Amino acid sequence: MALKVICDQAALAEALNTAGSVVASRTPSPVLTCVKLTAGDGRLRLAATDGETAMVLDLDRVEVDAAGEVLIPADKLTQIVRECTDPTVTLEADGHALHIRGDDSRFKVFGFDPQEAPPEAHFDDEGVDCTMDAGTLATTVARSLFAAAAEHTRYAINGVLYHREGKRLRMVATDGRRLAVAVADCGSGDGETSCIIPAKALGLLRRLSKDPDAGVRISVGESRIAFRVDSATAPATLVSSLVEGRFPPFEDVIPKEQDKKLTCDREQLRSAIRRASLLTTEESRSVRMQFESKQLTLSSHAPEMGEAEVTIEVKGYEGDAMEIGFNPAYIADALKVIDDDDITLELKASNKPGLLRAGRDFTYVLMPVTV
Amino acid sequence: MPIRMLPMHVVNQIAAGEVVERPASVVKELIENALDAGATHVTVDLMDGGLESIRVRDDGDGIVSDELPLAIAPHATSKVETAEDLDGIATMGFRGEALASIGSVSRLEVVSRPRDAAAGAKIVADHGDIGSVEAAASPPGTCMTVGRLFARVPARRKFLRTPRAETGRVRRVIRDLAAAHPGVHFVMTSDGVTRLELPAHRTLRDRLVAILGRELADSLIEIEAVRDGVSVTGVVGTPETARPASTHQIICLNGRPIADRAIKQALREAYRGLIEPSRHPVAALFIGVDPSRVDVNVHPAKTEVRLRDERLIFVVIRDAAREALKQHDLVPTMPLPEVTMSPQPRQLFGSGLTATERSVAPTPPPQTSHVASVPVDGVRPEVRWMQVHDMWLLVEDEHGVVVVDQHALHERVLFEQVLERIGESPLPAQQLMVPVAVDVNSDAAEVVTALTPLARRLGLDIAPLGPSTLAVHAAPVLLVERRVDIASFVEDLVDRAVAMQGADDETALRDVVDMMACKAAVKAGDRLSDREIRDLLEQREAIERSTNCPHGRPTSMRLTLDDLERHFGRS
Repeated sequence: MALKVICDQAALAEALNTAGSVVASRTPSPVLTCVKLTAGDGRLRLAATDGETAMVLDLDRVEVDAAGEVLIPADKLTQIVRECTDPTVTLEADGHALHIRGDDSRFKVFGFDPQEAPPEAHFDDEGVDCTMDAGTLATTVARSLFAAAAEHTRYAINGVLYHREGKRLRMVATDGRRLAVAVADCGSGDGETSCIIPAKALGLLRRLSKDPDAGVRISVGESRIAFRVDSATAPATLVSSLVEGRFPPFEDVIPKEQDKKLTCDREQLRSAIRRASLLTTEESRSVRMQFESKQLTLSSHAPEMGEAEVTIEVKGYEGDAMEIGFNPAYIADALKVIDDDDITLELKASNKPGLLRAGRDFTYVLMPVTV
Repeated sequence: MPIRMLPMHVVNQIAAGEVVERPASVVKELIENALDAGATHVTVDLMDGGLESIRVRDDGDGIVSDELPLAIAPHATSKVETAEDLDGIATMGFRGEALASIGSVSRLEVVSRPRDAAAGAKIVADHGDIGSVEAAASPPGTCMTVGRLFARVPARRKFLRTPRAETGRVRRVIRDLAAAHPGVHFVMTSDGVTRLELPAHRTLRDRLVAILGRELADSLIEIEAVRDGVSVTGVVGTPETARPASTHQIICLNGRPIADRAIKQALREAYRGLIEPSRHPVAALFIGVDPSRVDVNVHPAKTEVRLRDERLIFVVIRDAAREALKQHDLVPTMPLPEVTMSPQPRQLFGSGLTATERSVAPTPPPQTSHVASVPVDGVRPEVRWMQVHDMWLLVEDEHGVVVVDQHALHERVLFEQVLERIGESPLPAQQLMVPVAVDVNSDAAEVVTALTPLARRLGLDIAPLGPSTLAVHAAPVLLVERRVDIASFVEDLVDRAVAMQGADDETALRDVVDMMACKAAVKAGDRLSDREIRDLLEQREAIERSTNCPHGRPTSMRLTLDDLERHFGRS
């Protein structure tokens, strides 16, 4: 039975864009670079995987003329649909190939036998660990994921800890120089669950969480985690294998005896950091922060360029004046993901970790740069 | 055995051991005498490498017949009268022992005629026995003949090498002296064959080209500096002319060839990063200092001198050579094969491009990426460039196309920046949340003790964690920013430290900064953004010696417009 569907161009382009970001970019196995299209029940299902992460997206803004399935290289299909200028495109299978037709264009793309497609992402309703709305989940991911190590090495984990106790979920990430803890309430859940989710899967999850009110169900298994986003327009399932290994004991890393505390305006600090970091270089990426009562002075210097100094107001600083250096990018990264107006800084000494808090949902440990 | 005063000829033989080691030292003494006598023409004839005979003829002032016996007597000289004179020696000889020494270990015949004398005279010293002055036919000037050198000093003779090797040494002595006296005509023959002929040259440069080799004519950069009473003139070779040995270095102090380690070191310092550490730059340096500030009376052979301002001279030479190199366009020209009747375009680019293509990792398929342009400095309106094969930057300049190795250039830029910064203060250290453990092959505590001073300057905080495990508590910000795996950096550092044992601090530091720069630099295969390329090329202009990476390999090479036109048959 040959698949035939008429799709809304914009919706299909977006769905393909999301599904296309799952597939493997370099692999000897061509089926891992493909997206599987399945038409039936008034829907078009897109399934893609790189072997570690798998995604299924359902599109309902389609008209199914004939049910069926094809397995087509994702990048070509995505490019073609994206470039189409017509409101609708027609997809029609021809053996293992796919015809894509717009008003004034016609493409034929060769694909593979759909029987060879890797297994589709499947959500198992039995093992649900907790539920929450997509907006909260996306925020929690954003507030932790940025601190994860960019690469996976012996010493750093390119993933985020998922740690749920009762109805409280904490997501934690660290690259060894900073550690972010984001907290969220979840709608259901009991007992305790802990696992490490690869960064790639969480990046994809954020793309699937565009509808903040959609409910998300999360199920955690022995070696995989699955998310089901119950969006009205494009329900999706994301399944990922888990990162093996032990997450560093993050509670121990959060300093408990910070004797210097202050509050400052997030936007002011963000602007000050951005300005002070203009005169830093790769080998001297640090901004000095001098805390005094009521004010914070940020300064930087690069021998070959010059120096910068910015002063902002702070509230509630007590204790002796002190000075500490940080990589400005690390502070800026955190300020990007929080929306509270006030942030709190807690410090102890210039060679001891600093703590940045926003409300009760975000805790950020920063290791200083010393000279 | 009773103590006795040594007979004079024995004293002279002992002294001769210090002045006269081999034919070359005889030649050196005799030529110096000739130059002191104002000679404009000096001829050296050797027989059997000087073992049979050495003859040095000059057209200098000559010695009046009455003074001939004094000339070959010990401690007789026309050049120094009082001890105070030793404080400011401007002549080449002065000790008054050279001829006496030579005469005590050979048969020395001196024939001389002052220009205004009617006739010449001669005297012979045969192994210390001084004959009487006799009349002799002679052109104006002096001719000294040394025969049977060391015939009666077998111990000395044993240390001589083959006649061929001794001839080579003599040639070098003449070459060095000739470099310092470009206006003097020098001729050297060996067994009747002319081995060296240097007509009087009008300029020092002409003389140096004649001595160092015609092929270097376009590769010698003139240097000149005067500072605090020290003057330096001469030439240095471009980096690609550096030699495996220091044979192409001529260093003269106040006209006297010297072998001074500090000065060689100053040169090496000036070329740091431009040549591989095992090579030696071509150089001819003429240093002038107030004679009262140099003690040449350290050793009878006078090749070692004691410089009162050694550090100053070091700095003047290093800076003068650096400045000269910096002013000079050092980008080497990419060698193209000679044009044939039917040029084959594929081969035109020579080994430069194809050889390196092979080493491209199995990264994305070769792509020719964007062409872009950027104003690089105030002089030229814009520089156009493109990145090819994610490995090379092609940059247009007024002479042609410069091909830049992106990794080598970035490595060089980082190296200079880090070194400059370390000169000011230690590098900033990013503290780590949980120490990174690194296994080492040797005793961790010892490694840490040995490395700590260096590590601190680099912004690296290490401590022993176990018997053969280190804990890294803080890492250089540069490495963190460039995402270098800190554990593998420390492993390499420890290996390097073992290999470097005994090296002085500066050498060790440079070595390690070099390694850091290499690890932190962009790699071959990294696709660079426009911004990154622009920054890199701007830094290339700013960094003093960016044509070579810290290992001395080139960072850039130029295809000249002339060569391209020639090969495409446009000229």
